[in-house]
Amino acid sequence: MNNQNSKKLSLFFLIICFLQIIYIFHFRSGFQYEIIKNPFEKNSGINFAVPDPVIETKNIIKKNKVESFNLSLSIKDNTALYQRIIEFNYPIRLKNNSDIFFFLKEETIPKECKIIDKGEFLLLTKC
Amino acid sequence: MIKYNFNEIIALLLSFLILNNLLLIGLNFSDFFLKINLILFFIVLLGFYFFKPFENWYLKIFFILIILISLGTPTFEWDPRSIWLFHAKRIFFDSSIFSVSDNYAPFSHNAYPNLVPAFASSLATFLGHWNEIFPKTAFSFMFLPPLIVSYVFFKNVKYLIFISLVLFIIGKYLFTGWADGLVAIYFSLSAFLAYLLLINENNSYRQEKILYFIAFSFFISLTLIKNEGFALLSILFLSIFIITIYKKNFKKNFKKIFYLSLAFLPVILWKTFCYYNGIGNDYVNLSLFSNILPRIVDFENYLLISYYLLLNEKFLFSLAFFVVIFWINWNKELFVFVFINAILYLLVLFLVFLSTPLDFHFQLDSTAARVIKTLSFLLAFFGLYNLNLRKDKIVN
Repeated sequence: MNNQNSKKLSLFFLIICFLQIIYIFHFRSGFQYEIIKNPFEKNSGINFAVPDPVIETKNIIKKNKVESFNLSLSIKDNTALYQRIIEFNYPIRLKNNSDIFFFLKEETIPKECKIIDKGEFLLLTKC
Repeated sequence: MIKYNFNEIIALLLSFLILNNLLLIGLNFSDFFLKINLILFFIVLLGFYFFKPFENWYLKIFFILIILISLGTPTFEWDPRSIWLFHAKRIFFDSSIFSVSDNYAPFSHNAYPNLVPAFASSLATFLGHWNEIFPKTAFSFMFLPPLIVSYVFFKNVKYLIFISLVLFIIGKYLFTGWADGLVAIYFSLSAFLAYLLLINENNSYRQEKILYFIAFSFFISLTLIKNEGFALLSILFLSIFIITIYKKNFKKNFKKIFYLSLAFLPVILWKTFCYYNGIGNDYVNLSLFSNILPRIVDFENYLLISYYLLLNEKFLFSLAFFVVIFWINWNKELFVFVFINAILYLLVLFLVFLSTPLDFHFQLDSTAARVIKTLSFLLAFFGLYNLNLRKDKIVN
């Protein structure tokens, strides 16, 4: 292959690579300008990654200095919400023997439970 | 005296520092040592960028773009969040890779190996707090050693084709926090180095000791990225065993094969630790046979698996690329080596899908396109290498 052809081929594949990067960036990445403005901040990107009720659990836990928590059956049955709450709140752990329960606002709360805090989506109770 | 290639040295150092990070956490070294290790990693990376600034500049530019995309991308998919970054978060807060012995949140697959999460946790340690974005770049940094070492074998246009194959087959997996792209690249490079160092006798690379060290660290990395890595390295060693026995040079290569097989040790230690702590693996348990037996006799299941695995556009492209290049430039030894690895891996995939404890369709739909990337990249990579050999033949 002569030098001229080699240069043309290099340019061709260089353009292919750039087009692929643009495609991945634009259509496949879920890129958010808001995140890249400060990717090192503590809460960077969480609004795009987890649903609002999950973020609310963390705020309530922090506000009430909860050391461990439990979840209502209704939350436990919702696999996505259950798993997200667990991993998002770590190192604060879910403990099945904890008497501090999160309930969804639309749930009926047992009589023996006392509401400690109210959020937009959730209630924190002591049962 | 053998002069070592700049890219080989950089790749080995980066790979070693990533493995060393896991070792330091495993041996309970303080954050200070983790930070030193990470600083060394970044110094080597700066060396790669600025020591010979115009060498391999394609990769340098594309890698910066990948890191920038990664820094603007949230981690919202299940595997990256609930497995890999959650493991990293646990390592960061517990300062240990062994805290999983409590099997907290078993949905996160605590028995999975922790090489990349450990590196991600160290990035958070370096930052000083947990954050969902920056630690995720560990997945992108992990790609560097195999991408850099590939430059030793492909130059100019060939290297650009290589980069475009990486972008096409691995795509968003370069930065989203999934481990499947890493498995694909590490396996292909491991297989390639194994071919050069143990199977093919007519190449000068066999004299380069540094390549044996790189192969060794890639083998270890492969097994510690994901469970599939262990299966893939086993397949690789089985194919090496079959071919060297057939070619009657197993004895001659025994020492090398033995030393390189020590790469299994770290993952064996990890799996032993998990076993003694009762941390299970969903896929390997007593229900494996009860899952596989009713499915193995139904021909429909094989069709369905083939449909999901093989009718994948990236796999078909890679297969066509591989076949056409081997059609143009027949290389029996290389073809047989790739063929054995590919067939064995397909067999393993069929067995895994037939024995899944999850819903059959759900399992195929959620994983087939990811796991076939390994095979797609293997075929594309070796196709490109064979194209390289053809060019060398013409030049000679």
